[in-house]
Amino acid sequence: MNLEEYRTVFAVTTLGLILMAAFPTLSLVVPFPRSAERFSELWVLGPNHMAEDYPFNVRVGEEYSVFVGVGNHMGSSSYYVLYVKLRNQTQPLPNATASEPSPLPPLYEFRAFVVDGETWEAPLTFEFLEVSRFENSCLVRRVMINDVVFWVDSSSSWDSENNGFYYQLFFELWLYDVTLRGFRFHNRFVGIWLNVTAS
Amino acid sequence: MSNLKFIIIFLVLSAFTSSPFVLGTHASSQVVAASAVEKAEGVLTSAYEAVLEAEGAGANVSALVARLSEAGDLLAQAQVSYRLGDFDGAARFADLCGEIGEEVKVEALELRDLAVEEAVQRFRWTMIGSILGMAIIVGVSFLGWRAFKRRYHRRVLGVRPEVVSDES
Repeated sequence: MNLEEYRTVFAVTTLGLILMAAFPTLSLVVPFPRSAERFSELWVLGPNHMAEDYPFNVRVGEEYSVFVGVGNHMGSSSYYVLYVKLRNQTQPLPNATASEPSPLPPLYEFRAFVVDGETWEAPLTFEFLEVSRFENSCLVRRVMINDVVFWVDSSSSWDSENNGFYYQLFFELWLYDVTLRGFRFHNRFVGIWLNVTAS
Repeated sequence: MSNLKFIIIFLVLSAFTSSPFVLGTHASSQVVAASAVEKAEGVLTSAYEAVLEAEGAGANVSALVARLSEAGDLLAQAQVSYRLGDFDGAARFADLCGEIGEEVKVEALELRDLAVEEAVQRFRWTMIGSILGMAIIVGVSFLGWRAFKRRYHRRVLGVRPEVVSDES
């Protein structure tokens, strides 16, 4: 190697070392994009905190319990509202494709603030307090959720395929949007089917 | 006379317990509850936004988020009570929620200011370190290059030409 080539090697090495020395300051000034996907989790667990033994055949006057949980992977602390709704087989669920929530009014609700990367979980107990059955229909008048009594007055027709009167207890996740300064449906919902035939 | 008094008292009591009066009181407690719930919602969201600002500035907000969750529970209870027509309960829960929300907001703003101050200090020291590091690298590199060049020249000039005899 001649002197010119040595000079180039020296200059490149020095430049590299200068960049290394400047990196800590640059990293504080230049915003580096985060590539991680942002999302939230929503789940329902059975009474034993497992994804099994969910209440299904329910009776009037008996208390059942599940756990609902939310996981935050949105990149910052998030503010969630979780609406608890009850529907029969013909009433609408949220529309995941159109990002539309169910038009049914919420019965109970949870509000949770979750730090990024952490989870939130709460127990939910429910009990059917008053159910009337006729020939081919069933009317749920009152339910109790977490010790609060709600008038429901929801009727269901006999499902001849599955032999029962079915209702679905479902949970809708809403997220507070700082730019909107309001809540928007977060396009996530889960639910459990309940057969009230035996009640 | 005493009969007249009795009738007047009876009429006054009847007026107070009559349905328009009761409905009016009910309506006013509904308005009070609605306003309390709305106010609590506003306080809680502004507290949350303050917590987000503190988090963005680099503060550890876990404790504040836990307190926000407490307030969130109270607001949820207020909303449920309101929907069920328990306006007194709704107002009570909403007021409690608002109190916690206000406290969290104040703490979050303090934490944010502290975090911003710390970030400025950290930036200052990092920049000083970087500038110092770059100056040392440039200096050492310059001196190193000079020393290397001198040594290189000495070696090149020290090379003596060798005479190779051509025996062929």
